[in-house]
Amino acid sequence: MNSLSPAIEIQNLAYAYGKADAVHDLSFRVQTGRCYGLFGRNGAGKTTTMKCLLNLLRPQRGLARVFGLDPAKAEVDVKRRLAYVPDQLAFYPWMTVRETLDYLASFREHWNQKKEQELFDRFGLDPAKRTDALSKGQRTQLALIAAICPDPELLVLDESTSGLDPIVRREFIETVIGAYQEGHPGTRTILISTHLIAEFEGLIDEFTIIEQGAAVLSLEADAARARYQRIRARFSQAPPEIELNGALCMRREGRELELIANGGGPALMESLRKHNPESLSSEALTLEEIFVAALKS
Amino acid sequence: MLFHINFKSGMPAYLQLVDQVKAAAASGELQPGEPLPSIRPLAEELRLNRNTVAKAYAELESLGVIESLPGKGCFLKQNHSPLRKEIRRKLLIEEIDQAIVMAHHLQVPGPEFLHLTHERMTALEDKRRANQDHKEK
Repeated sequence: MNSLSPAIEIQNLAYAYGKADAVHDLSFRVQTGRCYGLFGRNGAGKTTTMKCLLNLLRPQRGLARVFGLDPAKAEVDVKRRLAYVPDQLAFYPWMTVRETLDYLASFREHWNQKKEQELFDRFGLDPAKRTDALSKGQRTQLALIAAICPDPELLVLDESTSGLDPIVRREFIETVIGAYQEGHPGTRTILISTHLIAEFEGLIDEFTIIEQGAAVLSLEADAARARYQRIRARFSQAPPEIELNGALCMRREGRELELIANGGGPALMESLRKHNPESLSSEALTLEEIFVAALKS
Repeated sequence: MLFHINFKSGMPAYLQLVDQVKAAAASGELQPGEPLPSIRPLAEELRLNRNTVAKAYAELESLGVIESLPGKGCFLKQNHSPLRKEIRRKLLIEEIDQAIVMAHHLQVPGPEFLHLTHERMTALEDKRRANQDHKEK
């Protein structure tokens, strides 16, 4: 209940399914009002981490805190303030869309009717349709309406856009930005796990890349894009041998050279410039490219 | 006005928005009193965090470029920087110095640099005039 505590705190979290380590020694923290990305390949431990936050799994070591509370001890206090859109959606197949929302709303103290109507209009979802007749896109839309209408302080999205067509994905993200973030700016926290990183490029404030259950890289998105640069140089002859301080990887192709700088981009540019290149350019890596670069190095 | 965000520029998205509004104001593409898009539709359209757009507008407001009228939205202001003249000059000098350093590294000699500066000023003024004429018609 402490408003000063971060929305989410994970410290040295570990969880294993039998002998298979899913998460080991993972730590990160999400400040209130931020949009936090948890990036990882399939099986990296993203879902396990989220399940520990939701008390669907008990951490075997370390701690998971939501709003400063232990989800295992204060489950109701935590869950009343958050909404979760899982990867695999399950609804009662005999219920209609309307009945499903009424049923889910009955567990909530608050339900934003205005937003519900707005989202129905936007998605063009038929309230009389049975949930077992919905397409995958429509099921996700229904789950999103159910998650946003209680106006939760925290929205947890676990691979919610994978398997959706580009139009539905786009709508999904626009809805998270518009309908969800609109409410009380600065207090709406989002935790997204995804490997479709490009889609969320503009939304993510900060992220952690996890691999085999441990954090590989945690950074602010703006800082990451400033730090990781692709530098391309073309010379009149074969590229010179230069000191690659901090460069992550490189390609040489005839007279061309491509480097990925991890910090130290300006210094690299400077030392390349001394060799009188015919052309020299640099651009920031996107979060998806940073993800690939971080896992390759 | 139409905004666009290029993540490959390495510049934070909110600063890109700030620069685009400033450029549109300088070229007359946006006229004093004209409204800027509201935060929510702009954030949705650019698929940008709502807070990023809000931060850009807050920055523009503190720079005196726009004013926000409660319940009405944000509007471009008459060009009146709240800063004192010597501060404004100092800020401009910093930018000019950077461009001069850049010119050195790109091997553009002084006279050519000055000529280019002149050319760019004229181009901006022409654009401004064209936008003005267009608005008056």
